[in-house]
Amino acid sequence: MSENNKKWYSLNLNQSKKSESCGCGKDSGGCSDNKPKDGYDQIMDVPMDRRAAFKKITAGFLIGAGAVSSACSVVSGDESKEKSNIEWEEYFKGNYKLMTDEERNETIERLTRSYELRTGKNLSMSSKDAEENVLFGYAFNISKCQGYMDCINACVEENNQDRSTEMQYIRIHEMEDGKGFNFEESDDNYYHEVPAEGHFYMGTQCYHCDNPPCVEVCPVQATWKEKDGIVVIDYDWCVGCRYCMAACPYDGRRFNWKTPEVPEDEVNKNQHYLGNRLRKKGVMEKCTFCIQRSREGQNPACVEACPTGSRTFGNLLDPNSNIRWILENKKVFRLKEDLGTEPKFWYYMD
Amino acid sequence: MKLKTISKRLIAILCLFVISCKHSNEHKYHTVTDKIEAESVSSDNINVSSENFNETIKTVAVNEDGFEFLIPERKSQIASFNCTECHTKPIPQLKQEQVGEKAAHWNIKLEHAGLETMNCATCHTSNNMDNLHSLTNSEIDFNYSYKLCSQCHQKEFKDWKGGAHGKQLGGWAPPRVSNTCVNCHNPHKPQFEKRWPVRFNTQKVKERQ
Repeated sequence: MSENNKKWYSLNLNQSKKSESCGCGKDSGGCSDNKPKDGYDQIMDVPMDRRAAFKKITAGFLIGAGAVSSACSVVSGDESKEKSNIEWEEYFKGNYKLMTDEERNETIERLTRSYELRTGKNLSMSSKDAEENVLFGYAFNISKCQGYMDCINACVEENNQDRSTEMQYIRIHEMEDGKGFNFEESDDNYYHEVPAEGHFYMGTQCYHCDNPPCVEVCPVQATWKEKDGIVVIDYDWCVGCRYCMAACPYDGRRFNWKTPEVPEDEVNKNQHYLGNRLRKKGVMEKCTFCIQRSREGQNPACVEACPTGSRTFGNLLDPNSNIRWILENKKVFRLKEDLGTEPKFWYYMD
Repeated sequence: MKLKTISKRLIAILCLFVISCKHSNEHKYHTVTDKIEAESVSSDNINVSSENFNETIKTVAVNEDGFEFLIPERKSQIASFNCTECHTKPIPQLKQEQVGEKAAHWNIKLEHAGLETMNCATCHTSNNMDNLHSLTNSEIDFNYSYKLCSQCHQKEFKDWKGGAHGKQLGGWAPPRVSNTCVNCHNPHKPQFEKRWPVRFNTQKVKERQ
């Protein structure tokens, strides 16, 4: 096979052999370089006459002008102007982690205002920071859970999860007695009277690891661990690569494959920027220990909804908290402890 | 000369050692348990309170073996308390007077241990219906009925005091409010009942086909 008919591209390292015959078959006149172009050249090094170039420049200019004009137009209504203003500002805002308090307030103002413009309704969004001397932890009693799934319903309602794909952060696994934690043989979508004879139930969700692998792999630092131990996501910084989903050994993360839908009258209007505010297509989300509730001192929705008291939530740094008593007095364990992810979610039995 | 090189090397090694041991704050602890131990503070230093979320619950205080917390008040939740409003006479006499009428408490069927172990009179006092009594006949207030349960359910009682049994109400932050036994368990039929789960994920079924 001759050099020139090669279908693949090889680097020309130290052998600058120039092809003698011309690939285009022309003997005279100019002949464009036949080598496939790479990177920058693909876009910039294209043959273009003056007319084509002018056309492209005009098109680019028009797109830019469109954005500016809708923001500054005197013709369009005040509301649509404000809307595009908000969109513009939102588009160029920074990572939440790096924002000053003022910037945080501004983006929250924009988000609530844009919701108001869209639906005519108000919501309250918080940017409350972690409290001092608080580290959140969770304990789950596998002897008590009866598999009713009340926690899942409460979670979906509290956190504005997509109704059309039935996204849910929590999974309740029905496990057979005597088989241990066998996730492959367990069923997390059962529908029969519970508790079923000879089975036990365990819930999984994001464990808010103290050494979270999902945070490690994020290429844009859109997910991180807060001071109170909650692993959060900046939905506006996430690029949707799903590395974190692959890195999580516990199946704790969910991806929005489509634009999430929540019926207007079911939207939980008590929101947090890092928590249950409405998400968009193409971003990750997961349990945040109901950050909008827990930072205020309230229990997460799953804890509140559980009719059996299997779920305990609390401050690991408070020696008098229920969760500390459980850790110190019950035989607790965590899932895949040997991975060193240090989940802050313990299981125990009566 | 030789001494100089050795000392140079020593310094280099020392430098390396110092640099390599300089951990960022993020990885200060080997495990989260170490972190919890090292950073624990007394409860007074925690500025979050769950009082707002417990406001609507009427509570009574419990102090058992050094565990101090609140439980929901019970008496106001019992439909026709005081019991003595009806129980004006001893039970055999009441029964005699009401022959032919619909029996009171017809809907209560005792399914708690066996009849050999328990009957109505194990907990209820026939000559003082407004209170309960222990195995040794000391009076127990309806608000503190856990004292009655704990006579047999010692292990559950221990877990409950600590916080491993019994749902925590309102918020995680102090003050602690926990359900008492009868808030979750019907004392006449303490077993949780079987029922259907509240949801079935039809999308998950499709995804996994």
